[in-house]
Amino acid sequence: MDAQLVAQVVVLAAFYSLVGTGYVLVYRASRVLNLANGELLMLCAYFLFALTVLGRGLLPLMVLLALVLVAVVAGVIYWATIRPMTGHPVFSIVLMTVGLAIVLRGVSELVWTAQARYPLEVLGITNKTLHLPAGAAVTVVEAGAVAAAVLFIGGVIAFLRLARIGMQMRASAEHPVLASQRGVNIHLAFALSWALAAIGAGIAGLAFAANVRLEPNIAEQGLRALAVPLAGGLTSILGTVIASLMVAMSENLAVRYADPLLAGVVPYFIILAFIILRPWGLLGEEEELERV
Amino acid sequence: MASGSGYFYTSYRQALAVFDTAFKKQALFALAIAVALFPLVGSNFQVHLVNLCFIAVLGALSQNLLIGYAGQVSLGFAGLFAAGGFTAALMVKELEFSAFIPVVAAASAVGAVLGVLVGLPSLRVKGLYLAVSTLALHAVIVYGASEYQHRLGGSAGIVIPKPSFGPLIIDSDREWYYLLGVVAALTTLACINLVRSRVGRAWQAIRDRDIVAEACGIPLVRYKLLAFTVSSALAAMAGAIDAYHAGFVSVEKYSFLLTVQYLAMIVVGGLGSILGSLLGAFVITLLPFVIDFIVHIFPTPERLVINILQLQRIAFGGVIVAVFLLEPRGLVALWERVKSFFQLWPFKFMVSGLR
Amino acid sequence: MSTPQPLLRVHNLEVTYHRKLVAIRNVSLVVPAGAMVGVIGINGAGKTTLLRAISGFLPGEDAQITEGDIVYQGRSIKGLQPHETTSLGIALVPERDKVFLTLTVEENLAVARWRGGSSDGKSQRRVLEQIFEWFPLLAERRRQVAGYLSGGERQMLAIAMALLNNPSLLLVDEMSLGLAPSVLAHLEDRLRAIREEMGLTVLLVDQFASMVIRISDYCYVMENGGIVFDGPPERLLAHEDVREFYLGMSDSAQGVKSYREVKQYRRRRRWYG
Repeated sequence: MDAQLVAQVVVLAAFYSLVGTGYVLVYRASRVLNLANGELLMLCAYFLFALTVLGRGLLPLMVLLALVLVAVVAGVIYWATIRPMTGHPVFSIVLMTVGLAIVLRGVSELVWTAQARYPLEVLGITNKTLHLPAGAAVTVVEAGAVAAAVLFIGGVIAFLRLARIGMQMRASAEHPVLASQRGVNIHLAFALSWALAAIGAGIAGLAFAANVRLEPNIAEQGLRALAVPLAGGLTSILGTVIASLMVAMSENLAVRYADPLLAGVVPYFIILAFIILRPWGLLGEEEELERV
Repeated sequence: MASGSGYFYTSYRQALAVFDTAFKKQALFALAIAVALFPLVGSNFQVHLVNLCFIAVLGALSQNLLIGYAGQVSLGFAGLFAAGGFTAALMVKELEFSAFIPVVAAASAVGAVLGVLVGLPSLRVKGLYLAVSTLALHAVIVYGASEYQHRLGGSAGIVIPKPSFGPLIIDSDREWYYLLGVVAALTTLACINLVRSRVGRAWQAIRDRDIVAEACGIPLVRYKLLAFTVSSALAAMAGAIDAYHAGFVSVEKYSFLLTVQYLAMIVVGGLGSILGSLLGAFVITLLPFVIDFIVHIFPTPERLVINILQLQRIAFGGVIVAVFLLEPRGLVALWERVKSFFQLWPFKFMVSGLR
Repeated sequence: MSTPQPLLRVHNLEVTYHRKLVAIRNVSLVVPAGAMVGVIGINGAGKTTLLRAISGFLPGEDAQITEGDIVYQGRSIKGLQPHETTSLGIALVPERDKVFLTLTVEENLAVARWRGGSSDGKSQRRVLEQIFEWFPLLAERRRQVAGYLSGGERQMLAIAMALLNNPSLLLVDEMSLGLAPSVLAHLEDRLRAIREEMGLTVLLVDQFASMVIRISDYCYVMENGGIVFDGPPERLLAHEDVREFYLGMSDSAQGVKSYREVKQYRRRRRWYG
């Protein structure tokens, strides 16, 4: 297994784990799969694109602003559409996120059209190739994405475990009524979960847009990453990270040694395998599988 | 449901009848007349629209049986719809056989078999995980279909000839109208009876609380798989008929978005309701055309007119979100509310019993 | 000499579920500051509904206060939301599901929101130390995941968490459920100590009548959604019907009668008054 393959797997895994963490955070808070996660990924990239009008040289600020904006959007989505649906069956809430995804995609296409954009070009920045030892090569954006993934996910895990608010978020996710009896504003905690999830997806979106291209259907990358939290455990961030390496490796191996078209389906085979053998994933809680 | 109408059954036969009240019988008769005469007054385009709705009704019924009545979440509709279409395509292309009824029957059979497969996870998991496993199976089916299509070099799709019954060839919109109308009506009637039967009751018991259903002696495995089988057979049948109607089959149209459209139909119309399936099918199918109509009737900025596709999309997503926020139980619930209001007026609610 | 204003006053309260089912009717009670007031009654008497009404948890159960008022520290708290009542100083120790099972003891304690500004970090830490003094068992098991605690330890943790809301009024719902008599006795003792040291007012609701009568300053008896009797413990102990139906201390050797017998008995003998 050569170094280039390893590098590709790590990069893809970083991407998957960012999006996957988004799914996990939302699932813990609202017990649903946020199928609009891909659209949040796409939106963040478009926010960055819109902010490029500020001119070059301010890239860090633009990145920060784009992430803040998408976090706010996610918080608003939670408040306006998910919070009123407390108590409804999971199926309905998931379908609601699908409806939101469609609206977000349509609005983005309306505003920015389906034309492919290249934000880095607009900013005049070139995506140089970094040559790593043992003959591997990754782009600057890819390396940045891996670093960002490590920082973000590590930060989220630490935050949830150590910070007071993090503990309150975990408590609200486990038992909302009890948490509110203890004075926690659970809806604020949930909105925060959604915002953090959006930031994770947003980082992935920015990386993809900078590295490949920006167009509305990059939102589909979000669905592609769905296998990761399902395999890793919908309640475990650590499980998602492990699963992302697993899925990334399987995909890359399939592309290299089997049919390239297979890469798209490999995640779904993994999902099926886990559903049959271990539905709650590698590190997920063995929950009483909720009925619809 | 609230009923202050004071209508009572006076015989067992009446209680068992599908259309029990005189009003229902009369309404049905009037509806039948209206449906039969519509092609004579409507334009070709309008008839075509209703044809699309008729096909949608088949799919919506299949989804509502599975999700609304049996409570099994499935995201695999597009895969089964594709299975129906591609079975037709296979028979036309490979076996050079295109007689309508046998092909559709074969497609239904294929759907039924696939349905058992898609339904197997339901014996182990429920809810979210079941939904995801059906999605995965859908991806696998579509992958298989796309491999077939690409291998055959038919990247533009496979052409299906017009259906024929002996000397009669279904060619125009009006001819399709009567064929599809009859199929939709018969299917609806079959579904109404199915949900009233022991099978339907077992499904609803499973949906509401499967552990208790099992304790009551309902074999879960048999009825869950039956739900998947029937629903998938119907979905594949719809897919085959749609293939004939469209005239060709191509893997692009069997996307996840198609599944979402049909899920929207049953949610907007009302889960667990035959009427809901019909209403939802019509509303969702006609929605893009309504948007088109509105955009062209009212003065709209040029930019929006060009991007009509996006507007239709936004409207579609918006309808789903709006339904959940305003009336999660769908149009039938809205209809029930209106009905109760008039039936109970001037009272606000019934005191005795629970709704 | 005028009596000081009670901390909590419930006046003529009526609570309805699902706009149809009247759960409690014409309930009035008074909780003086610093007192331990008990409410006893069999399952379904309306005790939990009463606590829900006070702490603001009715809407989640599709219930409303349809009549009457609840006055806390001089102001009406009818219709307030849970986090609002908590910030006013009312903490509810709930009936089941009292602790966060996946969090450790320490984390459970960290979740409770301290009433008062953030500058109160010092006083919060002081109370935390105090809590570990009152409940040395919790101090021992600080890092243990709460799911592995025994029933008694969980109850202790639940009370501790409520105390960390810095309450003026503690509402305790069915503390005795599932606890062995010795464990319960230990809890009673702790509760008494906490009350003395913090000057806390407690409204204790339980179907374990003898415990409530033993440790309360004043008791109310609820039946079928209404208050049928009240008084200091001596008065309750002296009342024949209380002795027979709630304490199982009858002169015949039968013990506590069944609920059905109670109903029939009541029809024959006027209980009220």
